[in-house]
Amino acid sequence: MYGWIWRKLPGNAAIKAAISLLLILGVVYALFQYVFPWAEPLLPFNDVTVDQ
Amino acid sequence: MSVSVRVIVRTFSELCVTVGMVIVLFVVYVVVWTGVRADHAMDGQIDQLQDQWAKGSVPTAPEDPDAEAPPEGSAGPPPQPAYQDGKPFAVMYIPRFGSGWSKPVLEGTKAGTLKKGLGHYDRTAPLGERGNFAVAGHRRTYGDPFKDFPRLRRGDAVVLTDGATWFTYRIANKPYKTLPTDVAVVDPVPEKAGFDGPGRYLTLTTCEPEWGSSHRLIVWAHLDATQPVERGKPAALGR
Repeated sequence: MYGWIWRKLPGNAAIKAAISLLLILGVVYALFQYVFPWAEPLLPFNDVTVDQ
Repeated sequence: MSVSVRVIVRTFSELCVTVGMVIVLFVVYVVVWTGVRADHAMDGQIDQLQDQWAKGSVPTAPEDPDAEAPPEGSAGPPPQPAYQDGKPFAVMYIPRFGSGWSKPVLEGTKAGTLKKGLGHYDRTAPLGERGNFAVAGHRRTYGDPFKDFPRLRRGDAVVLTDGATWFTYRIANKPYKTLPTDVAVVDPVPEKAGFDGPGRYLTLTTCEPEWGSSHRLIVWAHLDATQPVERGKPAALGR
């Protein structure tokens, strides 16, 4: 999978590495910004009241 | 070994490593990042309050807690200060948690509100008024405001200010473990606290166990002293 992505990236090794780094940063950003905030309320740390 | 089996095994391994990395990142998010964000948000809320108070839009300070009467019809509940949902209206200090511990108190207990500070149960009494001023806070994640909750003891001070008045409450019990359905703990007169009549009470709630949600920890307190902010910080905040 990662080998396939690596081969699809254009340019020489340095450019491929730079693009990879950008891709990784983008994925981490998306996780922290969108996926984790959605997933976190499914865990029990938000239940601090005696409402129900 | 044929090439296709090799590709399947390799892809499967890569997926497993990827899932592992995502889980590690998620733990970092829950344990560290929510705290960073919440600390920032709480500081912002306190700054916002202090700006408001500096501009002079403070609630009117009651001269004496027992002297004030509800202006419109004494049969109704005490007049509600206009707490706006999700907005900060007070700052809480608990010396037991450390001299630097101060958190904003926001109106309401929605999940989004509790990310920015402690949450006042919107059906309970206003700060310093007759009845039960009930506040919930995270024990873990989002800045861990109530991390040291089990260390609270009878006689500990819980100090709040709304910009005009300092309110010093005194805790009446060791943290009491109960079920999430036990809504009676935020009653105007919480009987389990041993309070025997109407008064000016405070209830703090958080989750138990530390990282779980099966139970709640509760402490109760009663209003011990009030003083206008012009007279300086209350003795309970000390040094």
